[in-house]
Amino acid sequence: DEQYELASPETAAVLKRTVEALMERGAIVRNLENLGERALPYKISKHNHRHRRGGYFLVDLEGPPSIVSTMMDHLGRDIDIIRRAFIKYPVSKTEECSGIVPVNCEDKLIPKKK
Amino acid sequence: MGARASCAQRVLGEADMAALAVAGGRRCCRWVPALMWERPCRLQHQQAAAESDLPIEMENPYEEPPKRCILCGINVDYKNVQLLSQFVSPYTGRIYGRHITGLCNKKQKEISKAIKRAHILGFMPVMFKNPSFLTDPKICNVKY
Repeated sequence: DEQYELASPETAAVLKRTVEALMERGAIVRNLENLGERALPYKISKHNHRHRRGGYFLVDLEGPPSIVSTMMDHLGRDIDIIRRAFIKYPVSKTEECSGIVPVNCEDKLIPKKK
Repeated sequence: MGARASCAQRVLGEADMAALAVAGGRRCCRWVPALMWERPCRLQHQQAAAESDLPIEMENPYEEPPKRCILCGINVDYKNVQLLSQFVSPYTGRIYGRHITGLCNKKQKEISKAIKRAHILGFMPVMFKNPSFLTDPKICNVKY
């Protein structure tokens, strides 16, 4: 996720820069989502400027793990990006949820000998 | 006294010998030690042949379905700030413990991790609850 300053043409320029940088390092960009623009939950000071509003974007990408450190470095130098992060793609496992399993207290009481 | 014990478990011990000695001359003995009392005893080979009075083995028909917590089956996401804010105190912004939320282990951990992630990424305020979510339905057992 990245958070940008206001003004649409600048925002578009930043996004374009970022996606190009990603593709340059060999990542495949699958999707780019705009999570909206709103007031930040708390004021963030970055690059000598106290930010109060920001736009949230989510980039869906596939790539080698070696990109992460280089990209974090690259995005850190971009003044228009307030906060950057790489998150593992969430795997939705909720279909197997079988409810609360009753704990067998007897087994827990007796220490297991390995 | 003739041999009484029919069960294989009975063994003539010293007490029995003493009893026999006491009742020596008399034919009808009143005092019989408990060991010599005749009790109905079914041998192993007789038990199987007897009518099966034993309970039929089956799954518990009255078994209740496994209890589910409120988030069972719901996917927890760090972007879903409204859901996460329901498990956070409105005054201090602290995450409620397991005894308050009533969630199962897995879901409590997931919510906790998602809230912390949302804090860091700038989705959710840290020290308080977002005022627009204050009127949300109460899930946790908190008494304000």
